[in-house]
Amino acid sequence: MDRILSVSWKNVWRNKKRSLIVITAVMLGTAAGVFTSGLMNGWVDQRIRSVINIEQSHIKLYNPDFLKNEELTNYIKGVAPLEKYLKVNNKIKGFSKRIKIMAMAATSRGNTGLMLLGVNPDEEMVVSELYKDIVPDGGQYLDNNKPGGIFISDKTAETLHTKNKETGKYKLRSKIVFTFTGKEGEMISQSYRVCGIFKTSNTAFDQMCAFVLDKDLRSAIPLNENEIHEIAVILNDNSDLSSVKDDINKRFPNISALDWKELAPDAGMMSEYMYIYYMIIMGFILFALAFGIINTMLMAILERGKEIGMLMAIGMNRSKVFKMIMLETVFLTMVGAMVGMAVGWLLITITGKTGIDFSSVEEGFEAIGWSSVVYPNIPAGFFFGVTLMVVLTGIAASLLPARKALKMNPVEALRTDN
Amino acid sequence: MSVIEIRDLVKIYDGSAVEVTAIDNVNLNIDAGEFTAIVGPSGSGKTTLLNMIGGLDSPTSGSIIIDSVDITRLKSKQLIDFRLNNIGFVFQSYNLIPVLTAAENTSFVMELQKREKSLINERTKSILTDVGLSAKMNSRPNQMSGGEQQRVAVARAMASGPKFIIADEPTANLDTKNTEKLLDMMEEMNEKRGITFIFSTHDQRVISKAHRIIVLEDGRIIKDEKKQ
Repeated sequence: MDRILSVSWKNVWRNKKRSLIVITAVMLGTAAGVFTSGLMNGWVDQRIRSVINIEQSHIKLYNPDFLKNEELTNYIKGVAPLEKYLKVNNKIKGFSKRIKIMAMAATSRGNTGLMLLGVNPDEEMVVSELYKDIVPDGGQYLDNNKPGGIFISDKTAETLHTKNKETGKYKLRSKIVFTFTGKEGEMISQSYRVCGIFKTSNTAFDQMCAFVLDKDLRSAIPLNENEIHEIAVILNDNSDLSSVKDDINKRFPNISALDWKELAPDAGMMSEYMYIYYMIIMGFILFALAFGIINTMLMAILERGKEIGMLMAIGMNRSKVFKMIMLETVFLTMVGAMVGMAVGWLLITITGKTGIDFSSVEEGFEAIGWSSVVYPNIPAGFFFGVTLMVVLTGIAASLLPARKALKMNPVEALRTDN
Repeated sequence: MSVIEIRDLVKIYDGSAVEVTAIDNVNLNIDAGEFTAIVGPSGSGKTTLLNMIGGLDSPTSGSIIIDSVDITRLKSKQLIDFRLNNIGFVFQSYNLIPVLTAAENTSFVMELQKREKSLINERTKSILTDVGLSAKMNSRPNQMSGGEQQRVAVARAMASGPKFIIADEPTANLDTKNTEKLLDMMEEMNEKRGITFIFSTHDQRVISKAHRIIVLEDGRIIKDEKKQ
């Protein structure tokens, strides 16, 4: 092993107490930064999973006119060739054709505006995991063999008083009357009976959406099989997102394909920039710790003035003196950071399995679409980034002490008491 | 043949209030294989002269020629390399690297010289055996006596294969027994390996062992005596 390297490593342990104080500070700071990043990443991951698996799917296809004006008659054009393409593309796991209309829902005790989605449960269960989010004693998901049912959220049940406020029990099979505008502008009324209640981590989504069988909605309006407003597409792999979307837009000029990042820009932005955000958190922590490291190294250099003078006298050149101090600082920082990363990783691993429950502030979290129970996690690549930052911090923190050492005059340094 | 030629050497410390002439027009030749003591009272200029011979300090005027190289004309980086390859140093307070063993301290200079590992190991063993420390090779400075540490310092100075070794008050921190041992060892190295030693001292025991005694006073050589 390079002698300068081994001397630097051994120098770290010359004053064990002082080094351990700095190492502990770096360890705690790094562990806190890693865990905070893991916690944030857990939220972001859950949010993105919720966006893809429940709220939006990977890609949604529309008639471009429907995006400007959600008119009932702005159907997707050329459904047959589009459906054929979606079926043969091996990057696509599944798709669900939807009818989408704005409607007024009313019961004898309440009313609310809702986005009524007509879906085929067999298709829908491939693209959306909403059927898994049925609340306890909340009935069941839509069934093609049980027409006339509606799948609403817990929030909607509260608003329409299909949930007993005192007992918390849902009034399943209770009737909700929907009023919406037909093809010619006529008002259509249609009633459905509550078959199931869902609850997601996104209050806004819950308050907005209700699901019925597509065939029920189609017969009420009426619409034929090819008159649909939206196709939700789920992919086998998120990394194919851009290629599939671009391919659809290129092949079908009458279709607007939007990916989940465009449909939920908040989640899109988080997926793009959160890594930078975590690095900024770590950067701030390491920046603050750097001052402690600089202070410790300056003390070490002042204490070893005579030794550094001797090294220069016997022929150790400036670059080697710099290398020795820089390595010593990097080692000091790295030891603390490595232990800190291990502690942070351990905390993330444990809480990633048990979850951290923020139920006391559940409403606040769910109002912005974030789950109140978070499962921290962090990608392995994050640790490479942190390691690089720690090394850079060590190098930056060594500059001042190294400068101090290089400014020493060997004759004067040899005269000192230290 | 002279290994060191000093011509018209002057060193003036230009303090804020007073100008102090530490070395006043010194002319001196030191031949290869000499065992020379520079003596004189405190403030006579012994350490200043040794520092300038060792390339650690620069003169106000004059020249120091070592093996045909005027070291007063060398740039800082060249001077560091010159010291590494041509001059060995022994300091009053040993100045070993505390985290390294005796063997590692001895081999350190050779590693700076980027010599081959096998040669470094061989030479380290040989030199430490010569200075009587073969049993202490793996001991750290804090596990050795002052005399043993100073012998490691001499071994380190010898390891680079220097043209001469400068020892500034090498026995100042040693007791009589260790002083005797160190001087005997240095004398043996001088005779056996032909190493040139130049040391400053006001220790009579050292002066009595020296083959040449140069007496400094107020920065001037007032006596230069060679023993027969």
